[in-house]
Amino acid sequence: MKKLLIALCLITGVARADNVLHVFNWNNAISDDTVKAFEAQCKCKVEATYYGSAEEMLAKLSAGAKGFDVIGPANYAITPLVKLNLLQPLDHGKLSNLKNISPTFANTKIDPGNQYSVPYDFTVTLVGYNAQKMKELGVDPTSWSAVFDPKILAKMKGKVTVLDDPREVIGAALRYNGFSANSTNPAELKKAVGTIKAAKPYWAAFNSQSYIKELTVGNIWLALGYSNDMYQARSDAQKAGRPFQIDYALQKEGNGMTADSFVMARNAPRPDLAHQFINFMLDGKNAAQTTNQIGSGTPNSAALPFVRADLKTVPAIAPNAQQAAKLEQLTDLDAKTRRAWNQAWTEIKISK
Amino acid sequence: MHSKQSKWLWAASLLVYAFLYLPLVIVVVYSFNDSRLNAEWVGFTTKWYGVLFADDQMLTAARNSLLIGLVSSIFATFFGTLAGLAMYKYKLRLLPILVLTPIAIPEILMALSLLMFFVALNFTMGYLSIGLAHIAFSIGFVAIVVRSRLQGMDESLVEAARDLGAGPLQAFWRVTFPLILPGIIAGALMAFTLSIDDFVITYFVAGAGASTLPLQIYSMLKIAVTPEVNAISSLLMLLTLALIVIAAKIAPGALRASH
Repeated sequence: MKKLLIALCLITGVARADNVLHVFNWNNAISDDTVKAFEAQCKCKVEATYYGSAEEMLAKLSAGAKGFDVIGPANYAITPLVKLNLLQPLDHGKLSNLKNISPTFANTKIDPGNQYSVPYDFTVTLVGYNAQKMKELGVDPTSWSAVFDPKILAKMKGKVTVLDDPREVIGAALRYNGFSANSTNPAELKKAVGTIKAAKPYWAAFNSQSYIKELTVGNIWLALGYSNDMYQARSDAQKAGRPFQIDYALQKEGNGMTADSFVMARNAPRPDLAHQFINFMLDGKNAAQTTNQIGSGTPNSAALPFVRADLKTVPAIAPNAQQAAKLEQLTDLDAKTRRAWNQAWTEIKISK
Repeated sequence: MHSKQSKWLWAASLLVYAFLYLPLVIVVVYSFNDSRLNAEWVGFTTKWYGVLFADDQMLTAARNSLLIGLVSSIFATFFGTLAGLAMYKYKLRLLPILVLTPIAIPEILMALSLLMFFVALNFTMGYLSIGLAHIAFSIGFVAIVVRSRLQGMDESLVEAARDLGAGPLQAFWRVTFPLILPGIIAGALMAFTLSIDDFVITYFVAGAGASTLPLQIYSMLKIAVTPEVNAISSLLMLLTLALIVIAAKIAPGALRASH
């Protein structure tokens, strides 16, 4: 029996090489060069495991999956992770670069005092658009009215898509009406749903998957989507030599945004390497590499000098204080509100 | 009248085949497209195959998928064939329920229960846990195929062999086994296919650092799937075709549905 167990252990790799850091994250969220640089510094190996959505990651961890050191969840997933007792507090004494987090992102309601989490990038939910078409039609994409006002939408019927996600679309409609994207007020929700229902006949589709492509090819002219996807669409259109340019802008009514953070698993096998890694990612140069690769915003003040010049001027990547004040982090909604939103979403989907 | 009917049948079957195979053709064609997007044809290039062969993560995931598929389908075929034989021979109440439940229950339930089971055993998850899970969900499929093959078999053949002096084992190897071999091979191919493309169960029982091709491709969706995925898919299709050709060579009758 003992021999069998030893054999099993060998197959399953219990007798692992000692110096391995296990990271559980989105795919492509960190640049390979950054990982290589860290491996050289810590003389260890980074093993990455990927997930495709926050729900997937939560489901797997809450069912008891072990062996991960660092997890890179979206911020709205931090609250449930803490509630489920899946994280351990960070030792700030081991994070000398903690001071690099910009004030907008440090010490938020989601994680007071950054007890558990350190933000490393952020994505804004905004409007991406075909610049030439907007000029032609005289549409101003810096207001949510381009997505929600039927009078303006009439010029672009069937050429607009929005994300297939209640959290994002209802959140944007709330901002358009002057409310918080995290509103728990049923009357405000009702008003937002009315706005969406009035706009829906003009939209081509609810699309979270292929809107980058549709924008790039020119099939759609305006999309409610994520800033790093719009960055992708823009560079794809440039590379393909399109006769038009894809741009994206913040909306004057304010935007919802989601930061991603590094947290440490409660049963992390290597807390020492985890701290080393998180501190390494807080270094300005390394944080900038993430932005330069995928066009996500950086919550790191020390990163700005290292961000590519063409990205530094993009408000969704490096907002000034005024713009940052209008960005609102999406939080985890309470169960009652979430049910109300999901019901509203179903209602929206089946409405004509 | 007759010819008219057969024309319609031809047209209908052509449509069905087009619906099944055109998407696959498109995947292969776009693996040679000189653009990061699968949006429109820009020009011919083989660079995505170059990108693929330089991408260790993707290649490792593909290798893992093939190995897990191969090993788990061998085990599942062995146990599934035994289960199929038992279900056919003995009128057991419980066995069919036990064998067939994994086919009927939703995948997500099976995934979570397997994960909790491994956690309860304090079993370190990795490739072994993936392999065991794949064997568990494939056995039922193999058993069903083998049992239905047995039900279509003429029992008097085995009786005749016994009357002519064959022992029970001899009768099995000389008569029953050759007759059900096509079913066994079909079951094995099914188990292999199921293993290769399973996502939900694999995702939950994969340990830290373990990856398979579906896991790898799925995690790329958030940023954008590049033609590199088309390239690996094309190669896999080629491999699958080769397997079918080999299977047809080994057991010519195996791929035909029945006698």
